[in-house]
Amino acid sequence: MNTFIKFLTKYPWPILLGILAVTVFLFIEMSANSRMETDLDEYMPQDHPAFVYSDSAEAMFNIKDGIIIAIENKDGIYNPQTLGKIKKLTEDLQQMKQIEKGDVTSLYTADNIIGTETGLDVTSFYEEVPESSDKLKSIRQSVRTNEMVYERIVSEDETVSVVIAEIGDDVFSMEFYHEILDLADSYENANHTLYVAGTPIVEGTMAYLGPKDMKKMVPIVILVIIIVLYVTLRNTKTTILTLLVVILSVIWAFGLMAWLGISIYAVTTMMPVMLIAIGVADGIHLFNHMYLYLQEHPEASRKDAISDMVRNMWKPVAMTSVTTSVGFVSLLASEVYPIKYFGLFTAFGVMAAMFFSLVFIPVGLMIFNKPKNVKAKGESEKHHPLAHKISKWVLQHKILVVVLSVLIIGIGIYGTQKVWINSSFLDKFEDDSDIVQTDNFINKKFGGTTTLNVILSAERKDAFKEPEVLKLMSKMQGDVVASVKDAGNSFSLADYLERMNKVMHADKEEYNRIPDSHNLNAQYLLLYEMSGDPDNLWEVVNYDYNKANLNIQIKEDDSKSLKAVLDEVRSYKDEFSDLNVDINFAGSGYTALVFTDLILEGQIKSLVITLIIIIVLLSLMFRQVSIGFIGAVPISITAVLSFGVMGLLNIPLSTTTALLASIAIGIGIDYAVHFIERYRISQKTHKDRLSVATATMNHSGRAILFNAVVVIAGFLVLTFSVFPPNRALGALVSFNMFTSFVGTITIMLVLLHWKKKFK
Amino acid sequence: MLRKNLKFRNIILLLLLIPFMSNAQNLTGKEIIEKVYYRDDGDDRRGKLTMTLINSRGDQRVREIKQFDKDFGKEEKKIMFFLSPADVRNTSFMNWSYDDPAKDDDQWIYLPALGKVKRISSDSKDDYFMGSDFTYDDLGDRHPDEDTHKLLREETVDGEECYVVESMPKEDGYMYSKTVTWVIKDKWIGLQKKFYDEDGDYLKILNVKDYKKYDGILVITHSEMHNVQKDHKTVMKYKDIELNAGIDSGYFTERMMTRGL
Repeated sequence: MNTFIKFLTKYPWPILLGILAVTVFLFIEMSANSRMETDLDEYMPQDHPAFVYSDSAEAMFNIKDGIIIAIENKDGIYNPQTLGKIKKLTEDLQQMKQIEKGDVTSLYTADNIIGTETGLDVTSFYEEVPESSDKLKSIRQSVRTNEMVYERIVSEDETVSVVIAEIGDDVFSMEFYHEILDLADSYENANHTLYVAGTPIVEGTMAYLGPKDMKKMVPIVILVIIIVLYVTLRNTKTTILTLLVVILSVIWAFGLMAWLGISIYAVTTMMPVMLIAIGVADGIHLFNHMYLYLQEHPEASRKDAISDMVRNMWKPVAMTSVTTSVGFVSLLASEVYPIKYFGLFTAFGVMAAMFFSLVFIPVGLMIFNKPKNVKAKGESEKHHPLAHKISKWVLQHKILVVVLSVLIIGIGIYGTQKVWINSSFLDKFEDDSDIVQTDNFINKKFGGTTTLNVILSAERKDAFKEPEVLKLMSKMQGDVVASVKDAGNSFSLADYLERMNKVMHADKEEYNRIPDSHNLNAQYLLLYEMSGDPDNLWEVVNYDYNKANLNIQIKEDDSKSLKAVLDEVRSYKDEFSDLNVDINFAGSGYTALVFTDLILEGQIKSLVITLIIIIVLLSLMFRQVSIGFIGAVPISITAVLSFGVMGLLNIPLSTTTALLASIAIGIGIDYAVHFIERYRISQKTHKDRLSVATATMNHSGRAILFNAVVVIAGFLVLTFSVFPPNRALGALVSFNMFTSFVGTITIMLVLLHWKKKFK
Repeated sequence: MLRKNLKFRNIILLLLLIPFMSNAQNLTGKEIIEKVYYRDDGDDRRGKLTMTLINSRGDQRVREIKQFDKDFGKEEKKIMFFLSPADVRNTSFMNWSYDDPAKDDDQWIYLPALGKVKRISSDSKDDYFMGSDFTYDDLGDRHPDEDTHKLLREETVDGEECYVVESMPKEDGYMYSKTVTWVIKDKWIGLQKKFYDEDGDYLKILNVKDYKKYDGILVITHSEMHNVQKDHKTVMKYKDIELNAGIDSGYFTERMMTRGL
């Protein structure tokens, strides 16, 4: 260690320049090669069976996410102007290079299959925009009597009609997103309001606003941290050095990512916030130590002060950095690649921060001199009175502390059971945001903006021409829509056959049902192919008629609504399996749900792994197993309470909040490590246990408090984010830091107190 | 002597005419397409049509149809009976088409499981024929007067000398912005045809794979339509062909549709 310190103090400039050179290189890499990934499919583990199945079903039935553009005319849509706009908008969308012509559905493109006394008529609702009131009336009548269009393309109150453009997974870009929004805008006038919704738009808005929000929040977080750092360190130089450590580690982490050609994902944008929160800790502890040293040795040279700081503090700084890194590296257990990368590069950033703290800070102090405004204090003032008071109080109320801790854990465990996972994208927005308002509007007027694809499959060919199978599908559809509140509409091959049967019986309502004969079903389907657009058919059934895609439209995209629909569909499993038909699921709504489950599963795995590794590491570092367990107590309480609070406050786990536990452990463990290390050292110089506690509290306790205050202040900034999940993240991390801090100086101190003296 | 002279004069005349004859060969695009449209195909036809539909994943569906059709001057009547798949057997379809471009086809369908003949009225001729890649127009319904034709060049394709004719619709908003046909010289068969959609993008290609002579009349027996945008294919094979079989004029009725085969 001494040679290392000598080396640092001897060659400050070359070291500084070396660090700067690497930083400049990585900074250039970062600015030149950083790539933002907005395609959410990139997040999905492609080899997971649920995703593989969904992908193949999506390819088979041409299942794509739809952009929904709704045109509203409060006076009704059946007038030349509105119908003209629908036609023009349809054509404009068909012209876009990202959209295939056949993937645009509107009143203008829809097939109108109607029955007459003598036969069957397949027409479009209109080709030329109708001017006469007779024609307008007849269109209105045709729509009203066509269940495949009414309430699907035209709202029940006839004031809104939708144009749906389905797009492939790979075409979405920020430019396309803005193009669509601008196109819709250009159709607005005094009588017409346009609304744009649908999964691609929600995802696009998030991909657009998420990083934008982080870009806005990060500088504010940094500013707040600068202020709080300055207030706690009361020194410009140390504040700047601490801050530089953080900034350098962020540049190194992002620069390395760019250099290795790894894209930035939405979750990666949280990395700077993490590194800021973690990186300041090392600096605070180092300067805290130096400050206390200078109080005792006012005459010490800067070389002595720096040597003492590094010699005494390298161990806890290294230990905390390693344990924190372990917490993040354990995210590799996740099946989700962006989260793996997030874990890996945050861990790298943490190690970089450690390197800077132990190299850059001493070197910086050598160059810029030690802080000057430290005043020597008398022996009586050596310990802050508060440190003594707290230690005394805790040690006098050991039982109370334990009881309270157990109680808090109990409450936490109780709350944990109420935690639910939310895969909703919409819930990430404010209730009064445009996107949510639009979605609500369309959901009010139509079946729902979220689609669940139920994939039914049988071994035998032509299974979906069998009346029993089709009738069961129809029954299930009716049941799901009737019994699940948020299920608004459904659509399948059964609807085609019911419609055909009705139409072929002169539009008599009593024939709006599945025919009893297999052959008649087959013949209706042949007839549909001859008269309608057969491509529509291949979106609900395959060529061999042994796989069918049943759509259920849902008015909410949160996991609770989706699960309610899934449960209702699954209740038909036995009935379908009696007919040798299997039920599976596909589509973006379903994969998002599976995805969130995977995230949670990954989180729990990583949490358990982290906890075990940390216990082992602490046991090794302090050469005692019991210390490992004692050190894990505050973070365990933090984790349990964190989930418990989420459960009790009805905050759902989402892709963002699920990362909380790792963050909490990663940061919280630092407090424990510093505290234990100082407690160990204080045991050597102090006899009675109260003064050991007081000395520890005065040294590490103080630094931990500063650290907690800085981090909490920084994260509280996030509560002003426009994104509810970022706000939850800010509030919960702040809360976790508080819990960790309190846990460390209370229950952990009590446990250390009860333990025998250790080395 | 007179005969001989005559012969000699004929030869001279022929020699003199050669340059003019090649001029006469210099048909306009319209004339070429008309020759294809009006090419003798007998007065009536009977045969078995096998239609194979192949989607982009290679899934196939096969349909067998017995087809009867007969020319009635300015109209053509056709009845088709499905032979397979079994669940649509005896489903029949009747189509009357007219030379008059203004007049829409009349169509009927008979579903044996329903036991009723129904009229189908479809307002567009650009409907695809039974879920295939052929529209009714592609199957030869489109009258030459509906397009303007231009001879682009002459070239040899698959060993056949062809005229290459470009046809543009006269009406607005037709499903094809343009078609280009490779017509075999003297045989007046469209060997190959490329279709371009409303936006001018390449949409489909038709290839005639085989044709045979029956009673001196050429009949296309194997053709393939490939929609390149959807990568969907339709293969049509025509066999057991009888031309001028003497199908009764009264055959094309709703009653006959219900009789089955």
